Amino acid sequence: MNNPHHLNPTSLKSRFTTRFLRALTKIRAQKPISSSSPTEIFRRYRRIKVAADKSMAYSVRSRRIWSKAMLWKLRSRSYRRQDPCSGRRSGKTNQAIMKKSSNENTTTRREDGVGFVEEADELRQLVPGGETMNLCNLLDETAHYIKCLTTQVQVMKKIADFYSF
Amino acid sequence: MDIGEKDKYELGKRDEHNNINYQAPVLSTDWQFGGANLTSAGMSLVPTTNPLAIGSSCASASLVDSFGSSLWEHPSNSQNMGFCDISVQNGASSSNAMEIGKGLPNSLRTSIDRPFDMGWNAASAMLKGGIFLPNTTGILAQTLSQLPADSAFIERAARFSSFNGGNFCDMVNSFGVPEPMGLYARGVGLMQGPDDIFAVNGMKSVSVMESQKSKLDATEATRDAGLRVENRAKTSPLENERKSESLMQPNEEVKQGTGGSGNESDEAEISSRDGGQDELSTLDGTGGEPSAKGLSSKKRKKSIQDAEIDRAKGGQTSTKTAKDSPENQQKQSMMINKTTGKQGSPASRPPKEEYIHVRARRGQATNSHSLAERVNFVRREKISERMKFLQDLVPGCSKVTGKAVMLDEIINYVQSLQRQVEFLSMKLATVNPRLDFSIEALLAKDIIQSRAGPSSTLGFSPDLSMGYPPLHPSQPGLVQAPLPVIGNSSDVIHRALSSQLTSMTGGLKEPNQHSNAWEDELHNVVQMNYGTSAPSDSLDVNGPRPSSNRKVEL
Repeated sequence: MNNPHHLNPTSLKSRFTTRFLRALTKIRAQKPISSSSPTEIFRRYRRIKVAADKSMAYSVRSRRIWSKAMLWKLRSRSYRRQDPCSGRRSGKTNQAIMKKSSNENTTTRREDGVGFVEEADELRQLVPGGETMNLCNLLDETAHYIKCLTTQVQVMKKIADFYSF
Repeated sequence: MDIGEKDKYELGKRDEHNNINYQAPVLSTDWQFGGANLTSAGMSLVPTTNPLAIGSSCASASLVDSFGSSLWEHPSNSQNMGFCDISVQNGASSSNAMEIGKGLPNSLRTSIDRPFDMGWNAASAMLKGGIFLPNTTGILAQTLSQLPADSAFIERAARFSSFNGGNFCDMVNSFGVPEPMGLYARGVGLMQGPDDIFAVNGMKSVSVMESQKSKLDATEATRDAGLRVENRAKTSPLENERKSESLMQPNEEVKQGTGGSGNESDEAEISSRDGGQDELSTLDGTGGEPSAKGLSSKKRKKSIQDAEIDRAKGGQTSTKTAKDSPENQQKQSMMINKTTGKQGSPASRPPKEEYIHVRARRGQATNSHSLAERVNFVRREKISERMKFLQDLVPGCSKVTGKAVMLDEIINYVQSLQRQVEFLSMKLATVNPRLDFSIEALLAKDIIQSRAGPSSTLGFSPDLSMGYPPLHPSQPGLVQAPLPVIGNSSDVIHRALSSQLTSMTGGLKEPNQHSNAWEDELHNVVQMNYGTSAPSDSLDVNGPRPSSNRKVEL
């Protein structure tokens, strides 16, 4: 009945899909679709985007610097939203983490003697947690990040296509 | 056995001065120390030649032996890698060795990583204390530089390695993942007791060993050239792969034959084969990234040898094995990882920090400028490796040349992917779920199956998709429109599928008992979605809202 030829059930794709779908159902359950004012839709859009990023980051756990940074960012954002006072707390932890990571990687302005500073900085802004990486690690993380992003886009496309028939 | 060997060495040393006095009798006694294979080989080689006979491998062997024996005079370093200590203590002998070694061109050193490692292992195998062999090999290397005949020496080295009896792999694996190259210089030093001495002698011993290595295997020249610089303690898969490569090669070589005629690399392989097969395979497994460069071969070999030495010691003396090998392994791992004082489990632990450790080659300037150059060289190579990998990932980057342009392309690609995610999440926000959520599971399966054809459906979706938030304020009517359209689409689906799906019209709440029946039908729906692009459906959908056909396809 069901597809016998499943891909690897523990692959990044399946992990992300299950998590994302679960989050989607939760979001949909929260608000009825009928209330489709622009603001509502926008709010849902934000939530779905966060859910997508979160499920992707959770699928990767903390194996990667960028996923760790992303999770950290999301968590601090949610803390700040829930409780403005907690922003201080999360801010402290953030500072601690950032300091720690920056200590590991010495200078933030990385010349590296290679000469791609501008592009590297731009890339660092794109990849979460990229500011604390030297160019070598940055390229590593970028490769993995690109792979995860493509998976994300693939899955979301399929879902959207299915729904928007 | 070790003790006896040490005694013999001391005896030999007493006979000689710290100079490299290559006396046959001393040499013979020293070589007996080596062990069954070694003794037979060494003995055959040693007594026959004048220690200073340049041009015969035997001579070189004897030279090494004598040197090693002289180094043994002060076996202060009871640890395996007393090499450096001995060289220090022996002052004159070490200095002699150094001088000899200096004669070697750097290229020689670079040329021979693996065979040197083989010889290393052999030497370590012989030397329980771990001091003699490295020294002897170092001396041997020095003498080798002067001796055109390497074959005999290789023979002996092979015998030494065979003596090791397969500990090589274990030793190598003790390094595990970490960069063996880093181990090379550091391993020698760390294995010894005093680090300060190592710091002084490490260079010398390294250089000695390098010179020896270069002699041992001329084929390694190309590999070594890059390796020397790449003294980086990084346990990257790249390096693991390279390390495994380097390891595999020596092993294979050694395997060929224990006979004296074989290369020492062959023998080293044999010795290493015993234990390390699986380990090497794991190393290969860990080396996931495609890194064809064997830059670190030289350093890796050294570290491998160090590992072998540890293993040799561990294997030979059961009592010491447990203590020494983990200790040495730890040290090696420490060296490899070069983390901030971390001495965790070797190999398996990924390096928290990375340093590019570059050791100046013997005879090279050690000022900061040249070192920095080498560090930069290593970095640049790593970066270009990764850029190549990224080139495969990013579509349309194969034609692009130049790192800067590549980086720009990568940046654009990442930006476009992120924008795509945003767009799709907006789309999902506006789309109404027509089906029960239990269907999500099935949908997940289909999605995971990566069915083809979703892009074709995007042709229809534009009119349904709200696209971007900017649409909302500008045309709220359009926002509202898709919902009824979706309802129409569901009708369309129902019409398309069968009467069974008419219950879907309500859409959102389906009784669970139907879910099973639904799964098959949903399957069909999905297949239809993906596989077919019914123009009629799209027309129906497009009809009510032709103006919304402004999908931005990323």
